[in-house]
Amino acid sequence: MYNELRSRLDRGETVLLDGPMGSELVRRGVRWRKHGLETDAPAVESLHAEYLNAGADILRTNTFQLNPRLYLHVFRDLEHMRQIGAPGLEHLVPKLQKTAVALAKSARSKAGADGRVAIAGVITPIEHCYRPDLSLPYETALREHQPMAEAFAAEKVDLLLAESMNTIHEAKAALAAGRAAKLPVWVSFVLGPEGELLSREPLADAVAEMQKGGAEAVLVSNAPPEDITKAAARMKGLAKVPFGAFAHIGRFSPPSWKFDFHPQFIETEGWPPAKYQAEARKWKDAGARIVGGCCGTSPAHTKALREMLGAGRGN
Amino acid sequence: MNYEPLRDTLKRGGVVVLDGGIGTEILRRNVTWADHQLATKPDFVRGIHEDYIRAGADVISTNSFQLSRRALYNHFRDDAHREHIGAKDLPDRAGKLLAASVHLAIEAREKAAAKRPVAVAAAITTLEWCFRPDLVPKDEQARREYRELFGIVKNAGADLVLFETVNSIGEAIVAAEVAHEIGLPCWVGFVPAKTGKLFTGEALGDAAEAMQKKNVDAVLLNCAPPDDITTGMKELAPRAKIPTGVYAHIGRFNPPEWMFTDEYPPAKYAQECAGWKKSGARILGGCCGTTPEHIAALQALR
Repeated sequence: MYNELRSRLDRGETVLLDGPMGSELVRRGVRWRKHGLETDAPAVESLHAEYLNAGADILRTNTFQLNPRLYLHVFRDLEHMRQIGAPGLEHLVPKLQKTAVALAKSARSKAGADGRVAIAGVITPIEHCYRPDLSLPYETALREHQPMAEAFAAEKVDLLLAESMNTIHEAKAALAAGRAAKLPVWVSFVLGPEGELLSREPLADAVAEMQKGGAEAVLVSNAPPEDITKAAARMKGLAKVPFGAFAHIGRFSPPSWKFDFHPQFIETEGWPPAKYQAEARKWKDAGARIVGGCCGTSPAHTKALREMLGAGRGN
Repeated sequence: MNYEPLRDTLKRGGVVVLDGGIGTEILRRNVTWADHQLATKPDFVRGIHEDYIRAGADVISTNSFQLSRRALYNHFRDDAHREHIGAKDLPDRAGKLLAASVHLAIEAREKAAAKRPVAVAAAITTLEWCFRPDLVPKDEQARREYRELFGIVKNAGADLVLFETVNSIGEAIVAAEVAHEIGLPCWVGFVPAKTGKLFTGEALGDAAEAMQKKNVDAVLLNCAPPDDITTGMKELAPRAKIPTGVYAHIGRFNPPEWMFTDEYPPAKYAQECAGWKKSGARILGGCCGTTPEHIAALQALR
């Protein structure tokens, strides 16, 4: 399936990445526990189906910021987690990954889209995606990304999306983990208010390193639409591989107690689908061959992007 | 004013009953706790406080666990990033919710109209995650933040501060100094590890002595399973010259929520509390996973 996607990119087509799972599930009232994968599987699957029906070429698994440290960090240590934590927490992540892939696949096959829609397994920074200061050293990051990449490979995703990377070294680790698992890898970077990586490392260096490491595509994301437009204009001169762009809309409203990334975006009304579509057209015109929606966007935004791109070959 | 009767009870060796879990009780009633529900479901939160008062609690604690500006700001790289993409009310959100949590507890006291004194304790925990002593901020930074937090709850009308789920003596000293400085009675609850020490390896007896020196009115153990509370009390009680208390959690932490188990139904939990009372504890209540029924079962221990 990935070859099909790759050849569309090679022909200069722009492909459509879906919208967010987490922020949209939370907006719909799904209680954010274990990503809704255990308690709200039907809501997760139907959101995938909505993105697919809206015209997405790529569905992302509902695994944003899901990794073993997410759970471990709220205990003193592993021993404390085993003592007072719910049974099985330390082995939970691979199970949730498996469920996440199964739900995306189920939506795809029910829509009869097996041959034309790709499923991207999503891995993200091991620590909080907005906290580059906490990012793990390369070797540790590689060791922790590796099993997650392998779990996705075992579930036969079509590609790995190392999403919302906030430092070059962790992106390299995630990329290496994906390559070792023999998956095609796309890498997206969180942009900071300065327009470079959130770590303040130059976007140019990030793109160069990802190309050197064998990334199939590099994307910019996790920033407001205007920021993404500026970055997309620069990407054309930086990227030899296909590049992509997807923006968040509204404002991040974190939870009132600390439990890692809670995907709640408010005040998203400022970017209705038509306005988002007009901004995304600029990304496409700048040469982006992958466009989509980050936090705060919805299937209606995906549909507007599909209209802008025209019916892709797959649709 | 509402605190004096408690002080008197403790002075004469009587039992004071604390409430049970609030965050977990919200979850048990099938509501998410992602935003504390203070602004979105005030009647519901107040109703839980009322249930605890009706169950016989002498002290109700606010629904304010980990509610601080720091907890919100921790989700961003820095101020520039937060201002760029974050919700605009974040600088004031935690303070407003914290004040609201105290107001709701006070309203619950008025509505429940118990014919006995009921104190409102502002429940404030460590600035960083309660089980992570490795993250404790430096003293002077912590002092600035506690001055603000304790000031807010005092102005909102709290009778005392319950500084709970504490993992190090150092942070407890800073908080106790601030409470004394602004004139709020202070109880401090420490988390005992399986070893009968703090997570830092510090001795509970040392914690009790440090708290006494800093004018803390009572030292408690909380947020650990009953067995660990028992172990911890053996360390704490012999060296505590101020009143001691306990509130254990029952069930298991299933982040970000709670796993309820039937291991300690109210009567069995009350038996555990009776044992802790025998070891010297005079403040008895419940932590995560306990319910108004558990608090009702403690009435027999007065």
